[in-house]
Amino acid sequence: MDIVFEGISKVFPDGTAALHGLDLAFETGEFIVLLGPSGSGKTTACRVLAGLENPTGGRILVGGRDITALPPRLRGIGMVFQNYALYSHKTVFENIAYPLRVRKIPRAEIERSVKAMADLLQIGRYLNRKPGQLSGGQAQRVAVARALVWQPDICLMDEPLSNLDALLRLHMRTELKRLHRELRKTFVFVTHDQEEAMTLATRVAVLRDGELVQFDTPQTVYRKPASRFVAEFMGRPAMNTFDGAVAGGNFRAAGFDLPVTGLPDGPITLGIRPEQIELVDASAADAVVFEVDVVDHVEPDMLIFARRGASGLIVRTPNGTRGPEHGALLHLRFPSGAMHAFDAKTGQRL
Amino acid sequence: MDRPASRPWVAFAWAVLAVAVVVALTPYLWIVLASFKNRVDLFASIPKWTFTPTLANYPAVFIGKDYWPLAINSLVISTSSTALCIAIGAPAAYVFARMDFPGKEDLFFFFLTTRMAPPISIAVPLFLFFTALGLIDTIYAVVIAHTSFNLSLVVWMMRGFFADIPREIDEAAVMDGRSRLGAFLFIVVPLAAPGLAATAVLCFILSWNEFLYAFILVAFEGRPLTVGIPGLVTPHGTLWGQVAAVAIVATLPIVVFTFIVQRQLVRGLTFGAVKG
Repeated sequence: MDIVFEGISKVFPDGTAALHGLDLAFETGEFIVLLGPSGSGKTTACRVLAGLENPTGGRILVGGRDITALPPRLRGIGMVFQNYALYSHKTVFENIAYPLRVRKIPRAEIERSVKAMADLLQIGRYLNRKPGQLSGGQAQRVAVARALVWQPDICLMDEPLSNLDALLRLHMRTELKRLHRELRKTFVFVTHDQEEAMTLATRVAVLRDGELVQFDTPQTVYRKPASRFVAEFMGRPAMNTFDGAVAGGNFRAAGFDLPVTGLPDGPITLGIRPEQIELVDASAADAVVFEVDVVDHVEPDMLIFARRGASGLIVRTPNGTRGPEHGALLHLRFPSGAMHAFDAKTGQRL
Repeated sequence: MDRPASRPWVAFAWAVLAVAVVVALTPYLWIVLASFKNRVDLFASIPKWTFTPTLANYPAVFIGKDYWPLAINSLVISTSSTALCIAIGAPAAYVFARMDFPGKEDLFFFFLTTRMAPPISIAVPLFLFFTALGLIDTIYAVVIAHTSFNLSLVVWMMRGFFADIPREIDEAAVMDGRSRLGAFLFIVVPLAAPGLAATAVLCFILSWNEFLYAFILVAFEGRPLTVGIPGLVTPHGTLWGQVAAVAIVATLPIVVFTFIVQRQLVRGLTFGAVKG
């Protein structure tokens, strides 16, 4: 069984176009992350799959069956909301049990399923509390338990971690990964956090302005970004990019020159990730010289912000090697294998 | 607002409250006393605060004049019109709180305008209307009339209460397997219960107190208590003791109800409504 978005478009009544013919297909059991900045249509795509929004064009297929016209309750999809959306007048037990009660599951079975799911998420102790008495992390677990307790084939999560503080977010991320491994359900996870996408996804769908930019494993998206946009969006700090032009094997950007091979003449954008820039001795022949502006220590690494003319870049290197001062000269080498080339106009990978 | 008020201001505030309480309670207290007075004490040229109380006025009007069915009528009218108002108004308010459709705010304002006309201005059309329907002088006419003018109030108040409930709650219920209607009935309505209760009580009070439409629409069958009072103004003089007795019985449920739900009522009339 697989899940297919077939040319899904969504134009809201106020005229906002959130999705432009989105095509996306993935397998059962995957952990799919929809990644993009706000306004990219990732949440809309998730809500269309849930049935909370009707697409203005296209079809949604699950296991070959067209579910586009089905109401949410007939789709077999559970969902976790960003603000948890717990029923504040019901106990935690009743919140988790609710999807089962609606489906008229026998009482004893409800009891068993809720207990099992609560144990899995380590909230067994709070079953008699009301949602108002829970911490953010506990409320989030209850929301996850409620979405999964009735064994839906697909579980949607719309920015489920963004209301948690940093430490808890990290912890819940691991929990979700474990949950996915144990339950073997299809997870569709919406986020604007590239780190969550990198760590959780079996495959990442990067969206921008309602269109799919790239759909691949996190590693491929990181190593072979399909466009300049993806390159700058994935990875923190962002990939360094330089606008310039190639002429006879030489790339000229604002402030420096770089010998390149295998690139056609004409305007181009080159990119390199901060951790792939090498610091070399002043004696190195192919070094490009930049001037240190600011140094950030993000243990165990340091980030060096350097400038040369109108060009600026960030170098990420292990801390303690050298602590350059402001104004010091940096000799940098850009390994040709680490360079990414993008079309200067469209931003597409070359 | 967070700063504690200075002492003179607190004293002043208490003084204002005290005056307001005296102004509001004195007439009521006077009616309570009057309902226990005999004719002589009632008409004493110097008002009497102390007198030998009589219990004669209550049985005289409720049993002697057969007024007790009017209390039943009042109860039937208020309860049914309140039930109708909530049953029709709450779903309408929910739609106003959740959905967007062309002309929504205009329609909402139109509902409110039904409360803006002076009641007397539609009294005659209403009379003709119910005559044409053959409902004149029946309890149904009063129930429908009260429902029609309280409906806007329900829509107005409940819209705010529903808007306070996050949209995701409905969506969570839908994802949990409810239909749209199911999510409204089984999740949203219970969550809005305090607001619904406050709105219902307000409807009940307004219907219970209403005089004009009831007076115009029914003469004998189905008269509520309010319409019964003018019947005590006789060619031989006004039976003030009995008027007071009826008035006290008529106000009792309101006093009780207001005490029960005053907290929600204040909230409903301020927060909820303003947000709507």
